[in-house]
Parts: sequence; C-alpha cells; structure tokens
Amino acid sequence: MINFRFDGKVYTAQAGDTLAAALLRNGIGLVGRSFKYHRPRGIMTAGIEEPNALVTVGEGGRAEPNTRATDVFVYEGLVAKSQNRWPNLSFDVGAALGLAAPALSAGFYYKTFFGSAKKWMFYEYFIRKAAGLGNAPTLTDPDRFSQRAAFCDVLVVGAGPAGMQAALDAAEGGKRVILVEQDHILAPSLLRDSQEQDAAWANATAARIRAAGGIILTRTTASGYWEHDLVTLTQRISEPGQVPTHDVAQRLWHVRAGQVILATGSIERPMAFAHNDRPGVMLSQAVRTYVRRFGVVPGKRVVIATNNDDAYKSAEALKDAGAQIAAILDARPAPAGANSGHRVYNNAVPLSTQGARHCLKSVQALVDGKTMDWDADLLAVSGGFTPVVHLHMQAGGTLDWNEDAQAFIPVSSRQNVTTIGGAAEPQAIFKMVPVSSPKKSFIDFQNDVTLADVDLAWAEGYRSVEHLKRYTTLGMATDQGKLSNMAALGRLAQKQGVAIPEAGLTTFRPPYTPVTMGLIAGAGAKDAGAHIRRLALYELHAAKNPIWQPLGYWFRPRAYPISGESLAQAALREAKAVRNNVGMTDVSTLAKFEVSGPDAAAFLDIICATTISKLAVGRGRYTFMLREDGIVFDDGTVWRLDENRYLLTSSTGGADRMATHISYVRQFLCPHLRVSAVNVQEHYAGIAIAGPQAKAVLTALIGAEPPRHMSTVPAAIAGVPVIILAASYSGERAFEIYVDASQAEAVWVACESEVFAQGGTLYGLEAMEFLRIEKGHLVVGGEVDGRMTPHDLALDKMLNKAGGYIGASGLSRPALSETGRRQLVGLEAIAGDIPEGAMLIPSEGASPQGHVSAAAFRIVTGGSVALGQLTEGFSRHGEILIASSPTRGQQARVRVVAPHFYDAAGERYRD
Amino acid sequence: MTELTISTLPAAPLHVFEIWSNPATVAKRFEATCGFALPHMGRSDGSDALRLIRFEPTVWLVEGDASALSAILSDDGAVTAIGGGIVRIRLSGKGWRTLLMEGGVFDAESPTFAAGCSAATIIDHVNVRLHVVDETTCVAFVPLSFSQGLLHFWEQAAGSLVE
Repeated sequence: MINFRFDGKVYTAQAGDTLAAALLRNGIGLVGRSFKYHRPRGIMTAGIEEPNALVTVGEGGRAEPNTRATDVFVYEGLVAKSQNRWPNLSFDVGAALGLAAPALSAGFYYKTFFGSAKKWMFYEYFIRKAAGLGNAPTLTDPDRFSQRAAFCDVLVVGAGPAGMQAALDAAEGGKRVILVEQDHILAPSLLRDSQEQDAAWANATAARIRAAGGIILTRTTASGYWEHDLVTLTQRISEPGQVPTHDVAQRLWHVRAGQVILATGSIERPMAFAHNDRPGVMLSQAVRTYVRRFGVVPGKRVVIATNNDDAYKSAEALKDAGAQIAAILDARPAPAGANSGHRVYNNAVPLSTQGARHCLKSVQALVDGKTMDWDADLLAVSGGFTPVVHLHMQAGGTLDWNEDAQAFIPVSSRQNVTTIGGAAEPQAIFKMVPVSSPKKSFIDFQNDVTLADVDLAWAEGYRSVEHLKRYTTLGMATDQGKLSNMAALGRLAQKQGVAIPEAGLTTFRPPYTPVTMGLIAGAGAKDAGAHIRRLALYELHAAKNPIWQPLGYWFRPRAYPISGESLAQAALREAKAVRNNVGMTDVSTLAKFEVSGPDAAAFLDIICATTISKLAVGRGRYTFMLREDGIVFDDGTVWRLDENRYLLTSSTGGADRMATHISYVRQFLCPHLRVSAVNVQEHYAGIAIAGPQAKAVLTALIGAEPPRHMSTVPAAIAGVPVIILAASYSGERAFEIYVDASQAEAVWVACESEVFAQGGTLYGLEAMEFLRIEKGHLVVGGEVDGRMTPHDLALDKMLNKAGGYIGASGLSRPALSETGRRQLVGLEAIAGDIPEGAMLIPSEGASPQGHVSAAAFRIVTGGSVALGQLTEGFSRHGEILIASSPTRGQQARVRVVAPHFYDAAGERYRD
Repeated sequence: MTELTISTLPAAPLHVFEIWSNPATVAKRFEATCGFALPHMGRSDGSDALRLIRFEPTVWLVEGDASALSAILSDDGAVTAIGGGIVRIRLSGKGWRTLLMEGGVFDAESPTFAAGCSAATIIDHVNVRLHVVDETTCVAFVPLSFSQGLLHFWEQAAGSLVE
C-alpha cells in the first residue's frame, strides 16, 4: 500500500494507481471546482483529456499546479491539494458565482471591462485575482530539467497494440526505432479490453523491440510536431512533486525522425445535457478502465448513455464487478443493444442529473419522447470517439470528415507521417443532437462553456469557429479541444444549418499536453538560459573581488573597489590613476581576427571603410566597418604584423556579428582571394596598460623601447611571446598586449607587478567608460547604434577615397546626405549632472531633437560631460539645451560642444 | 550509472590549416611530408604527434606539431595559431555518445560516427568540435570562455545518465 495525502488527509493507494484511481478507490467523488462558476467537479476520464480533476501536486518549489489527477501515478508521500476553492473544497464561497451565471456568459470580459486605460488599471486587479486555477509556486524549483536530442528512422507515438506492432516491424526490419507511450505501462488498453493480444504479448513485443535495438520511452508524451519531422517529447522521469531519483525531473526530447507513425488512438466524447458536469458523470471507457485496470468500481447503481456499441463493454465490466446496471440509454433505435442482456432503452438520451456536491443521485432521460428517471450514483456516457489528430495537424496534415464516426480523420501531410489504429479508423456511432436545456449543458468543462454560450455567441454574430473559440474561451487551457471541440462544432453547424466539416475546425497547436516552463528552459533555467563566458584570467580577477559587469554573455570586472569604496568612487579613483600615472585592464573580450595571405590587404580593404593596403609593416590604424547600406556597424584597429599578416580588432559586443560578416565576405563575396581570416578572439588574451607612465612600465617589461603610437612589435614578457600594439582608448599613451591565452597568467602577473611598482592600479569597465567618453571615443551599441553614417560620426574624412569597401555604394544614397540627420556632439553640463539616455530638447515640452548616448564626469577637473546625437549637431555647437529624462525624473541644462573633452589634439599619445 | 569520465586535457598548440589555392598539389605535398593524406570532410587522420581534423571544406584543425605545415602550404594557404582559445575535453567510457545528445543537435549516437570521424556542432548553445578517438573516447574542442560552463553542464548531465 502507498500512503498519500489529499487536502491534508492521509489515504492509501495501490501500486500503479493514478491519483484519480486512488481517490475513487477511497470513495472521493468531489475533486475540484470549475474555473468560472466554481461548480463541484469529480473525475470524468482516465486519461490526459481529464478536464475536471485538476489538482496541485507536490510542495514548495516542486509544487505543480493544474496537474490532471488522471495523469499522475501515486507514490509514497504524494501530496495533492484541490484548487480554486475557499475555504475548502466542500464549502466553497466562490460557488456563489454560480448564482451570477447569467451575467458571466460568453464574452463577459468584452462586455464588462472596457473604457479608459485608467479603468483597466482598476479591472486588472480583479481579473488577475480570478485568473487561473492553481497557484504557481513562489519558491524556486529545486529540480533539473534536461533536453536531449535523438535521431531515428521511425518514431512511433503510442504504444497500443497497433503502435507496438508497427515499432516491432520497423525495429526487426533494421530501422532505428523509438516508441513512446504517455502511460507508465505499454499497451494499457489491453488491461481495459481483452483483445487478441494481452499483457503478455505486450511484454514479449517490448522485449523484441529492445532486442532489435529499439528505444521505448514510457511516461513520455509527444507534445509537438514541427517542421522536418522534428517531434518534441516530454518525458516524466519522476512524477509531479516527486523528488527525482537521478536529479532530473523531466526530459525534453528533440527527435528528428525519418518517419513518424502516429498510433495515438481516440478520445471518448461526453454528451451535452443539463448538469452533465456533476461528480458521478464519467466517460464510459474511463469507467471500464477503473474497473478492469485499477480494480475500482466508481458506482454501485449505474446508468449508461451511449450512441455506440462500445459502452456495452462497460456494462459488462461493471456487471462483472458487482455493480447494478439500472439502464442503458441507447440513442439508436431498436434493435440496438437488444441482445446485450441489459435493460436497454432505445431512442433514449439523458436530459439531466440530480445530485449533491460529492455524488450523483439520479438521472433523467428522454425515452421515445417521454421523460423517465432512475436513481443512480454513476452515469457512464459515450458520445462517440474523436481521433487524436493533434500531431497530424501540427505536422501540416489535412483531415477528412468520416460521416460514420462523425469525426475528422487524418488524411495526408507534407511531412512523412502516417496515422494507424483507432485514430485512423474510429468506431461508427449514431449521430445525436442535444435535446436538453442548453444552460447547464457543458461542452467545455474546464472553462465552464455551455451550449448556451455557443448559442449566445452565434446570436451576437460570431460565425467563424476561430472567433467562437476566442469569444467563449472554448477549448482553451489543458483541454485544447480534446473533449470540447466536436460538441461545439456540432452546435455551430446546427446553427448554421450546415454539416460539421463546413462549420470548420480550430487549429491544434503544440503542446498537445501541458509542458512545464522549466522543461522548456532546460538546464539553462538556473542561469538565465545561457552559459557565462569567462575571461581567460577570470580566477586572477575573482581573487580581487571586483564588481562584475555582464557584457553580452561575458562577465568582466566593472571596478576593483578597495576599502569599502562604492562603484563610482572606485571607478573615479581608477580613472584618475590612468590620467595621472598608469593603470591596466583586461581587454581580452575584444574581437580579433588574424588575416593572412597575399590578398590579405585587398580583403581588408573590402571589410574596412578606411585604407588598409597602404599600411606599413609594424604599423596600425583606427578603422571602422559599414553595412551594405552605408551605416557604421563596428569599429576597431588594424595592424600589419608581417608582409602578408594582419591583426584586425573590433568591438566585444559586435564580435560574433563581425565573425559572421567576415565569413560571409570571405566565402561569398571574395572566394577568389588568397586569404585566410581566422577568428582569434579567444586565442589571444589582451591586457591594456594606459597612462603617462605606461611607456615606462612597458620599457621595464620588455627591456626595450616600446613602439610609438599606432605601431606594433613582437616581444616577450615573463618569457612569454607577446604582440604589443601601441593604441589608446583612454586618451593616454597606452599599449595593448596580446598573448596566447593559455600563457596569459604569467604575463598579467608581470604587468601587474610593474604597474603596481609604478604606483598604478587596475581599472575596470566603468573607469574605461569615463576615460573614453572624456576623450570622445565611440562605443558600438552607444554612439554606433545602427543609424549613424561615417559623416554623422565625423569619420567621413577617414573613408577610403578609392571606394571598393562594403557600404561604399550604400553611402551614396541621397537620404544619407540630407539635412536633418542626427550627428555626434559633445555635451557639457551647465547645471546638474547629465542623465544617460536623456532626450535633448530645446525647451520644456518641446519635441526631442536627439539623445544622450553616454554620460560621465571630467575625471580630473570634475563636471558632467556626455556624448550624444543631435539633429544637425555639427552646426549647433554653443547652443543651450535641456537633457531631460522623465523616466528618471532628472534633467540638466547642457551646452553643445565638440565631442572631445580631453586632449583634442592627441598630444598625450605621443612621447 | 552510465560509465563516463570527463577530463580536461592540458593546453596544447592548435592551429587552423587553410588552403585557398591548388588543393590537389598541397594534398600531395602534405602526404609526401607527413605520411598520411589530408583527411576528408568530417574525418580526421594522423597521430598524437600530428593530427588533422577537417571541419570545413578548406579548413583543418591541427593538433600537435604544426612546424612543417607552413612550408607545405607555401603560398597556397596559411597556418594560424588558435590553441589559446580552445580547451580540449576528453569524454571516456561508453556513455560519451549519450552525453553528447544532452543539449545537442547532432547524431552522436549514429554508428557511422565512428573512430576517425569529426563534427562541428552546438551543445547547449556552445559551439563544439568533436573528434572520435575510438569507440570509448571522444575529444571535444570547446571555446575557452565557455569551457567551465560546459564542463559543469556535462558533469551534471553525466550524473543523471542511467544505463
């Protein structure tokens, strides 16, 4: 026996019980409350289509709301809780909403919650309070979720007799086969109905499939069918709320199959009649499943309502189990059911039920035009069968109408998918039209949608089935049309006076059954969905306990506070050290490309908008790159390391984009060039040393005169070969040292030692930002924002006059030289600090004429400065504007100036 | 649990070997000098001293001593060092194929992905190059910046692999 709790009370279950079976075994009829009217609901089905018995399973972060009690297998210690009720399931204050049902009909939201935005703010509170059934857990989910790829020749979905046979044939035919079954046992229908095969056959078949190399996954649902026969599978490794044995709770499989065979069977339909949602009203096959598979008899005195032969099997099962069959209401005319041995009423359909919160008491039916009543504690209904065509439709498949079965069946698909078994050939049924009062005749039990709601939608002009669905909320949530669709379509067709196929069909979209969000996030759920990129020198930085800054996927030191400094204090101290003495920082994340070959210069002349081919060996220069449309998209430096070897650097944030661009140019635009362009971003770690004493530090490190500004030399530091580039982003005499990342630690330590010996310090991204803004250097993603031309950024004088670079043609577009373009400017605060991101306005209330792209402080002298983009900015130097940030509640008066606040002539670069 | 050992190999020189012209001639020169032919696409060849793994139509990843390669290429290609940015992770034991399916998009379980095969793929969003050493060993070439993250991912995933 297995112990579990439901609403705080301990019960026992038998091994293999679903929670639904266990609750029925313990005589529990009332399991939940409906969404809108809080009507008492019991267990209707025995499968994933269950609309009523939704419970929260598990506790803490592992709690899973809206779990179908029919789709969780009881384990020792399972904790389940009913939902959408207060103070308890039996006495639910919310049930009073049922009295207001006439006011809560289809389209209630649309008719009630309208008006100004202010009113919406008021409505929102109540809508949010009412939304949903179970509560999402507030604690972090402690479990892990895995995502795994799989490839196979044949994927078989559904391990019923047809699916297992198909899988066996394929596996023994030498195919790579995956067979999936959402139940925890194979061929569960064989436990419900004895057929030619039995459980022993299922076990033997499974053994043969495995012996032939096939993979069988139980507790696995094919939840989505995507393009190219990609099928996603949701595998429950542990049950909802259960502590996983091997750490992982669920696995999302991405299966790429050569062929997909759908043996998904069909779902039994309920019937529409008044109070058909009461506990004690169940689907016929579900009743049979509980009796024969679980040994649970859900009722002692049973009425069965049907329009087909299948329900008679349920009568037999119930009779065998000792239940009394009070009546079989067969919608078909005589002699249907005449030889069954039961009391059969032909031309009989249920009209209504009566009962209490927890149980059914009687059934009323229309028999040959007359009303009859029976005392009963169970009504088993079978309104026909709906083939599970969800995956077929998701695969882009088409459907045909099967008149005999009154159902849509799968036909063709543009993908390699075939449907077999019950889903392809549903049982014939007798066509029924609801005769009961539509007001309490539920067709979507989960969303409390009745026939009356469909009628109202029709009366209000909703003709399309897609509109009807959205207006009434029919087929939403976990149901997704499984139980509700055909009844609604039938009603709509009846209203339209057409056949069901002419009324249309809603679209089935993934997932087929609910998928937990953690599974979609996978392993990345715990770290924002992506790995953090670590610097080669991460450990050295971490030892200094810096403030880290996410930069794309990278984490870089933002500042190295000492003695309790704030970020701003640390950054200002670091920046001052660079201005007055020397500092060093890690620039490893810069994009770097080694370009080699006789045509390397020609290649770079195409990539870069500045002239590269005239660069002498050992020299470098600033460069920038354009998109085809002439807009600047990145910048950096180019260094001629050797006759036919160059190093191109560009921005960190644009590194991947630049790698793609270079690859595209190399392979598609310039396949004829004799050049190799290799991404060496991570091969080289980079260390920048900047400040008036940087040259002295370098001299000490390499034992020789360092290269002059924009020159490069190979050297060795701490015995490690390095490339030294004399380049400056800070505005000071500066050097970048590039070294094989696997040997970078020794070089960093040597540099740090020498910098400290000079009284210098480390500096992080924040100080670097201060320095570059003061100097007026651009940053990609800031000033270079995908809208600016070289002219807008005052870079046009550097353009390669010979043309031929990517973007040269685009630059000639008239729109790029029209007046009124935003242009790069500097901004000096007259009063207040300039808020970053502020809009630039000439006066209060005026329209924005630009914005502040980056703001900082004058490092040595103090005062707020910024870079910005301003309409016709080049001609507006000296103008006074307001930098206003309403979102921050800040503003400052600023003067428009040239975008260089420090050493505009570049004197400090030079020795 | 599935038999699997994950270990980081020591840093070693790695190079990109790219041919832009006269591939047949270069191939002859290569075979004459190195004693084995340039491997085809998706294949690798050589020994621990020098192994070439072809990942692109004109590009090979070189593991080992690349000192002779520049001369072989002459003006028909280039050799570029990339070893500083790549961490080699060895996956040993028969569970390596299953492990590579975790967060993967590539059919590492295919029997045709056998010793001497290579692949460039994505695993848990990280670009990875794979080289099958033998039936129980695969070496993954992982970008340095992602190596700690992917190592952690693999170690966690390995713990949940069940035979």
